[in-house]
Amino acid sequence: MSNPETRHPTRIAELSERVRNQIAAGEVVERPASVVKELVENALDAGASHVQVDLEEGGIRLVRVVDDGEGMGEGDLALAFTPHATSKLRDTEDLEHIASLGFRGEALASIGAVSAASILSRPRDAPTGHRIEDLWGAVGEVREAGGPKGTTVEVKDLFARLPARRRFLKRPSTELARCLDILQRLVVAHVGVGFTVTHGGKRVLDVEASMDRRERVRRLFGADLADALQPVDAEDGGTRLTGLLAPPRFGRSDTTRQMWFLNGRPLRDRVLLRALKEGYRGLSVENRQPVAFLELSMDPSRVDVNVSPTKSDVRFHEGRRMFGFLVSSIRAALAEADLATPGETMLRGLERRGAWSAPEQGVRQPYLPNPGARRIDSARPGGDELRVEEVRGAPFVPENLAPIIADGEPVTWERSDDLSGPYLRVDRTYILRALPDGFEIIDQHALHERVTFEEWKAQLAAGRIEIQRLLVPEIVELARSEVEALAEHMDGLGEIGVLLESFGRNSVALHGVPALLRHLDPPGLVRDLVHLASSHGKPPTAADLLGEVLHSMSCRSSFMAGDELSDADIEALLVRAREVGGAKTCPHGRPTRVRFTGMDLEKAFHRR
Amino acid sequence: MKILCEREKLREALAVTTSVIPSKSTRPAVENVSMIATGDALELIGTDLDVAIRYRIEDVKTDEPGSVLVPARVAADFVRDLPAANGATVTMRTHGDNFIIESGEDSCELSTIDPDEYPDVASFDEADSVPVMAATFTRLVSRTGFAAAREAGRYAMHGILTQCENDELKLVATDGRRLAIASAALEADGVGPLQAIVPPKGMHLFCKVLDDPTERVRLQFGDSQFCLKTSKAEVFARLIDGEFPRYDAVVPASTENRMDADTATLTQKLKLVANVTSPDTRAVRMSLDKGQLTIFGRSLSTGEATAHMNVEFEGSPGMISFNPDYLLDGLKNCEGDTVCLEFNDKASPGKFTLGENYVYVVMPITVDI
Repeated sequence: MSNPETRHPTRIAELSERVRNQIAAGEVVERPASVVKELVENALDAGASHVQVDLEEGGIRLVRVVDDGEGMGEGDLALAFTPHATSKLRDTEDLEHIASLGFRGEALASIGAVSAASILSRPRDAPTGHRIEDLWGAVGEVREAGGPKGTTVEVKDLFARLPARRRFLKRPSTELARCLDILQRLVVAHVGVGFTVTHGGKRVLDVEASMDRRERVRRLFGADLADALQPVDAEDGGTRLTGLLAPPRFGRSDTTRQMWFLNGRPLRDRVLLRALKEGYRGLSVENRQPVAFLELSMDPSRVDVNVSPTKSDVRFHEGRRMFGFLVSSIRAALAEADLATPGETMLRGLERRGAWSAPEQGVRQPYLPNPGARRIDSARPGGDELRVEEVRGAPFVPENLAPIIADGEPVTWERSDDLSGPYLRVDRTYILRALPDGFEIIDQHALHERVTFEEWKAQLAAGRIEIQRLLVPEIVELARSEVEALAEHMDGLGEIGVLLESFGRNSVALHGVPALLRHLDPPGLVRDLVHLASSHGKPPTAADLLGEVLHSMSCRSSFMAGDELSDADIEALLVRAREVGGAKTCPHGRPTRVRFTGMDLEKAFHRR
Repeated sequence: MKILCEREKLREALAVTTSVIPSKSTRPAVENVSMIATGDALELIGTDLDVAIRYRIEDVKTDEPGSVLVPARVAADFVRDLPAANGATVTMRTHGDNFIIESGEDSCELSTIDPDEYPDVASFDEADSVPVMAATFTRLVSRTGFAAAREAGRYAMHGILTQCENDELKLVATDGRRLAIASAALEADGVGPLQAIVPPKGMHLFCKVLDDPTERVRLQFGDSQFCLKTSKAEVFARLIDGEFPRYDAVVPASTENRMDADTATLTQKLKLVANVTSPDTRAVRMSLDKGQLTIFGRSLSTGEATAHMNVEFEGSPGMISFNPDYLLDGLKNCEGDTVCLEFNDKASPGKFTLGENYVYVVMPITVDI
């Protein structure tokens, strides 16, 4: 790094701008995906209504972004590759209310420093365009050149002359996946902008500008997910949360389908991810990441986006309030969602086992819906609301694979449903019940567990935990360390209705249990508590412990698979479930009921 | 084997015996009823390995003594459905490996299995057995049985403690939240002490065979079984092994507050208020002050209710909350016109006196507000 011209004593020298840019580029440009992100964001900032992205070899060989935005004139182009040259910011005050996607003025300079880059641009009203090159940091002259309206940026051979960095790139397929991940986020974020993405000349993604967010999810991730999404729209003092939440059954092992957007900017802020997780707590099976597409709109002055160069983390001015608002909005929206596993998913499981086969394409018969059956059309452009219309008698074939739910919004019949039998019991574990159109299978243990859990939480929230005192204290013998582990939490356990007392060194005495737990096995309960208290490496917070204890206790006190339930028991359980709402998965996240709609049945019998 | 017996007696015997026999068992022989014909009697044996019954039909005409194992349910149903016009008698006989039941012109032929596969069922040993009136025994069972633990709780609490001590027969049952104790004087002197923890299933079967309240029956406290003998039947129940909670310490010896209330009114008012309590809120609060009882119940999801009634009350004004279901269970068995509640404070047991020699202790529910 030393300058060969200096003589002996001087070891420190100012780096040339070129080297500086190459180093700085490392912060902004890590891999092709970061190039894609920067360039597409620039295109969006330029007001593009359609963005085309062409990739070669996962973007290592080529990233080309073509937009139909404002374009740049000769003068702007000359400065485009200059570091900290930006059109989006003038002075520090502007940092207070950044509304554009990029603003630091680093991106193009950094990209130019590590690749063979060129920009061809023609403003909307200009007769011709101009072109400028930056080959490995050597910025060329602006030359006149012909081109379409808008801007085309080409980035070739990323890191080709920087072997140290090139080595860190993965195989093209991996790099492509990363590029697509970024692009998917941008596609979902920027409703109103069309996207076309090609790789090696093949079209891999195509979204029209007119598609709404749900349509985009449908195009990217399939109709199953898109149709099940629950809209959310909530506001709290200038902050607005909008978007779509997937029912917990769509949970994944990775977070690729968790998307947060802040004023249109995709980001992976930790606080937001945590809010999402908290919102799904108790609904989602452990280690499953919820799927959600959420947008926050707020005054740019209330959030600091200039925390890191990748702009993935931000800092909210009222973080705590924000967190509470997000969690409660997510929970409220999920409570509305139909979380029952649809019969269709089960049909697919049957198909895999060979117990059922999907109707062949081409033999599809026009099918006659029941008179009065309704059809939901969510394909209507520009709106998340479902439109319900009556379809009378006339046969129709679904267009555009829009979901046909013979029953309209579940809410309409659920209100009139009196939850009465007849019930069919299967294996003393499942209960089948006819619905006005279709049927549902209920897991009695899972549902009862969930209901107990919800009621208990309500008591707790109301500060009215009822404690049933025991006639004779239950003495449970434990290891000494276990007694000590429990001792720390006795006060907290008292709050949730478990009255425990140390009873000598090796045992505890249970004096009272929550009155809700009617079929409780006290030694089992105490052992569960010990397990929970000792399995936490670090001292659990009261809230943690509470959540987990509630889960495990409601499980212990529940009807078990194998318990025979009378019709009255079942009806009472269903009524309770309706009263507590959100009882669609058990506290461990397993579904409590599976619903087969008329449509599922029609599919199963190849009527469709 | 070949016998002739009265249809009505056989129907009754099969109905009682079959009620014990499981329709599915890991030991298929147990799904059968064992029939043994001797001199002038036919004995039917049924068991599910926890409880067993020997039911005797006297005055049968035995042409050929012998024993046979027949599918219990089919035999019982066939005999039950025989038309009365077929006459009052039924003939049963073995034919090779089959068993034939005939009445009038109708008959059925059932396959049998080897009687040796049937488990051993004990016989009643009269020595050291305790005589008791049938009515006394059934009364004690109905006064206590409801309080026994069902789904969960300590194993020993799943049974009814049956004791003979101080010339008294005493039954105790608890599920850890409430406790019922009922006792009655024994006719014989100097019995015991004896004790057994009897599962409710056995108690129900005992009560089922006690059809004549004035009959003097005998109880046998065995090492592993509790047995009861009537003129027609011998019933055996396997004991529950374990230590019954020390219940005497739970019954408060002296209390500061005492309420005497009209049983019917209290039951009515409790039911009234319990209408609003839902599974999410089990408690009703009883507030006592100067001859007034106020019952209050509230549910998070439904609402609240209040009822008032006049009572006799001695003590300092206060309140105590209970699960109304527990109280109603007890009041159902209350024989007197008034019921007495004694307690010390809202976190200590409430002692209800529901009749002579009949105490019901219920632990309160405390609500932290």
